[in-house]
Amino acid sequence: MTSAVDKAALAKRPVMPRTARILGFAALALALGVAMPWLVSSKLTLSLTTQAIVDALLATSVGFLVLQNGRVSFGQAAFFGLGGYAFGVLVARQLVAPEVAFLLALALPTLVAFLLGLVFARIAGVAHAMLTLAVGQAFYEIAFRWRELAKGDDGMSFELPQRIFGFASSSLQDPAVMVVVAWSALVLALAGLALFVNSRIGQIAAAVRDNEERARFIGHDTAIPPAIVYAIAAFLAALAGLLQATYNGYIAPQMFHWSLSGTALIMAVVGGAQFIVGPAIGAVCFFFLKDFAGRFAEFWPAIVGTVLVAVTLLMPQGMVGLAFRLWAARRSKP
Amino acid sequence: MAIQLLNGVVYGGLLYLLAVGLVLIFGLREVVNFAHGALFMLGSYVGYTLAASGQWWLGLLVSVVFMAAVGCVLDALVFRSLRKHDHIVTVLITFGLLLILETVVTVTWGKAYLSYPVPKLLAGTVEIAGSPFPIYRLFIIAVSLLVAAGLAAWLRFTRMGLYVRAASTNAHVTSIQGIDVDRLSLVVVGLGTALAGLSGVVAGPLLTLSPTMGNYILIDSFIVVVIGGLGSFGGAFIAALLIGQIHNLGAIYLPWAATMLPFLLMIGILIWRPTGFAGSRT
Repeated sequence: MTSAVDKAALAKRPVMPRTARILGFAALALALGVAMPWLVSSKLTLSLTTQAIVDALLATSVGFLVLQNGRVSFGQAAFFGLGGYAFGVLVARQLVAPEVAFLLALALPTLVAFLLGLVFARIAGVAHAMLTLAVGQAFYEIAFRWRELAKGDDGMSFELPQRIFGFASSSLQDPAVMVVVAWSALVLALAGLALFVNSRIGQIAAAVRDNEERARFIGHDTAIPPAIVYAIAAFLAALAGLLQATYNGYIAPQMFHWSLSGTALIMAVVGGAQFIVGPAIGAVCFFFLKDFAGRFAEFWPAIVGTVLVAVTLLMPQGMVGLAFRLWAARRSKP
Repeated sequence: MAIQLLNGVVYGGLLYLLAVGLVLIFGLREVVNFAHGALFMLGSYVGYTLAASGQWWLGLLVSVVFMAAVGCVLDALVFRSLRKHDHIVTVLITFGLLLILETVVTVTWGKAYLSYPVPKLLAGTVEIAGSPFPIYRLFIIAVSLLVAAGLAAWLRFTRMGLYVRAASTNAHVTSIQGIDVDRLSLVVVGLGTALAGLSGVVAGPLLTLSPTMGNYILIDSFIVVVIGGLGSFGGAFIAALLIGQIHNLGAIYLPWAATMLPFLLMIGILIWRPTGFAGSRT
């Protein structure tokens, strides 16, 4: 975010957990996820939770670009939509086996983002926000205009094939199954990001974010590591899009729209984009707040706007940053 | 062909009115105003209430004055405190403002599409190069050219214009010279939002009113500002005319790609020159 905030965040960032601790937390979280369908009986709650987790994945994707590359994207929905569309279109037309469609839906956006990242990483600040906004809208326009692809503006429903990876695919539209799949994906994604941040490439990307010139001066390649961060972020967005398309059996151009990118960015910032888990927590809180505020649906955008303004001005490190600060304050008391 | 070029100038003129407001606000406050499209929309609705009852010109006047007041309030309450912050923070804050303004309009006027009357004085068409052309569109061209000329003269020949140019280059140094930048930007932000209101009312009869009508034109005006160079008045004028032509000619000759052309142009220009045609900052 701001360079000042960045520096403050870096100074205050808690000691990075070690690999073992990350894996331990992940195993615990996975076990909790598997138990979820037994703990919660309401199908509606499970379904809402699934949607919230999809949002969390997308917000994590946007937040990770901020965290690791220091770049604010207003077009991350492009990869969300691309993942969903690649799967939906390939499956609906039966062009390839569903398993291949599944993998392509993840690989294609990742590759596109890597190539774009090689160029975009050089552009900072507002220009970057505008550039990603333009790329996202360009994808949106394609999906919107190209009626033969997937019925344009109307969106397209598609039937899942009978079996995918040997499982009955109808179970993927059952909230009790999907919530576990989505939760596991989110946990693995967060654990993977935590490991990546500590890895050599992750460290170089962070060095490039803080000062590209110095990173180059001490002999690091400054083009590839940030591009890898773009690719990872796009992979997560594509995964979210893929999960949503599979779960709903429906794709529509809104999956690409910049308002979705903007919303994901808001969730990431409110949760705390300086932390790996911040965006996911922000997204889940937002989702349930929105559900809770259903009665005031008319005022919902204004509520979001007010929260956004308040958080950006009053707690620039988001909810997780605030939680850490409160915790640190309590610990320092005798 | 002449008609099509003129239509391009009409859209370019509207884009200029919005883009120059963005440039003014960015110059003084370094705020990238995502709420500008929402201000345009609000201005349009404010004018609509009077225009629908036959008072089109009064609606225009009220909207401009009202939006100028809104701009002053925004500057004093929001933008002033954003000075210390990074550009991206201002993007997020004004994005929040956009959501709030859209809700205010939705609650006040409803979500339904409304259509705007054309003032009686400007109804009808004239013949240009053998085809009829609405007088109203000529009016839009005239308004945007007048604003462009007036603004250029103001910036070039008045003392205050000199201060505005100085503060746009470096607000800090300008304030050291003894110029009250806060008071100056109250005027400039007020002017920028008043222009958003003006273009909202003037564009009304060409578009249908809806709470999200500002989003599309906002993105196009951002493209104009970025292509022209952040903070450059002349660059914005050229870029607005260029995007206006691309928008219109594209819709005729390349309909499948028309809406993408401005994006592609912007992507290309940003990669080639991240500061835009005439800009010196990112």
